[in-house]
Amino acid sequence: MKKLGIKKGDIIILAVVLCIAALSVLCINLFNHTGNVAVVEVNGSVVCELPLDEDCVYDVKINDTVTNTVVVNGGEVEVKNANCPDKICQNHSPINKTGESIICLPNKVIVTIKGDSTEIDGVAQ
Amino acid sequence: MKKFISVLLSLCFAFSLCGCSNFNMQQSYTKSFIDLFDTACTITAYDTSQEAFNEHFEDVYSVLKSYSNMLDIYNDIYDLNNLKSVNDNGAKEPVKVDDFLLGAIDYGKQAYDFTNGRVNVAMGSVLSIWHDKREEGKELPDMQQLKQMSSYTNIDYVIVDNENQTVSFGAENVSIDFGALAKGYACEKIAQYINDNDIWSNCVINLGGNVKTIGTKNGKNYNIAIENPRGDDYLCTVGVSNGKSVVTSGDYQRYYTVDGVNYCHIINPDTLMPVDYMESVTVICNDSAYADAISTMLFTISVDDGLDFVEKDNSIEAMWVDNSGQITYSTGFEEYIN
Repeated sequence: MKKLGIKKGDIIILAVVLCIAALSVLCINLFNHTGNVAVVEVNGSVVCELPLDEDCVYDVKINDTVTNTVVVNGGEVEVKNANCPDKICQNHSPINKTGESIICLPNKVIVTIKGDSTEIDGVAQ
Repeated sequence: MKKFISVLLSLCFAFSLCGCSNFNMQQSYTKSFIDLFDTACTITAYDTSQEAFNEHFEDVYSVLKSYSNMLDIYNDIYDLNNLKSVNDNGAKEPVKVDDFLLGAIDYGKQAYDFTNGRVNVAMGSVLSIWHDKREEGKELPDMQQLKQMSSYTNIDYVIVDNENQTVSFGAENVSIDFGALAKGYACEKIAQYINDNDIWSNCVINLGGNVKTIGTKNGKNYNIAIENPRGDDYLCTVGVSNGKSVVTSGDYQRYYTVDGVNYCHIINPDTLMPVDYMESVTVICNDSAYADAISTMLFTISVDDGLDFVEKDNSIEAMWVDNSGQITYSTGFEEYIN
């Protein structure tokens, strides 16, 4: 210690600064972390964001008519009560991974799961 | 002095720690749209901020929109000669078209050759009958009428004049349907545009399930899921990056039902009827347009014949799901599966 010329005070300062650094990194990561959400878009604009950890039912209304119902249940999202002719959105199995989406082309409704990291970067279909 | 240096060094270290989580990495941004190519499209790209992404996205989207307009066979676009203009007037006079459309039609003619006629963009006259019946959703087309129109599907009737930038038809009733190639061709061209203009180094372009990758996902492969034609969840996910493309042709995206039987949108050029022995074919290769053409070709021939073709071409790997749910892989396909 004496040879290097480092004093007790130096070590304390070093320790304190390191603690602050570690804490700030921890805080940044903690506060940045938002849970996964289902983002509902109609005709290109976001109409709502539903957290996947709360069960809920959201009716998509276009001109006061319910066109699709988005259901969040047990961390999964599915679309019900679709008034479109092909019902592709309604027949789609529930989604739960970030990057997945259910799309109703006739009603221009897109439900996408968004979160910190993407698990699925695309679906070939 | 020493104290000062130690504080300075610690601070540097502390800031570098923060940097790991914030400064160095670009974030991924995603936007979906459903107003082009009559399908759902998604672009995911790594960019410095939401604003930067939005700006780049607008640029890419406007180019994609021009592609979609040019390949449109149903709508007239003001001040633009698109495929509909070519189909409406090509038999009367040569129609002058943009570089992109000229290249696309030329590629369609090449696709006829390298798929041994299984992908024929000159099938428009037959495909439009099927399209109309599918939209109505009531009955099958009249076979007599289909056969009659099939005499106008010779690819040599489509004449591309590269010097004068025109397209014309060698007979009446000829029409082009670019549906089998449109998304793959546009995907490949927009990837070139993104590369040539240094818009994004890392992104995934997904045009209606035709997926093209550029760069990597933080140095790793992107995870591309492959839709399960019949069941829940996915068949598998494949890891691809650096220009690789994943394209699936399936019987489940566009179809209609008559007397309890489903008729898909992919028509066998020999029988003029929808293919009924395949659920889906997925192709992985570098060129998205080639992948789109080959997946359509493989969809219309037997798994054995398809396997022969794929094993001879080192640039492609494929996975088949036949109508019994049986899955077949080409030799190298499984190496991509996560």
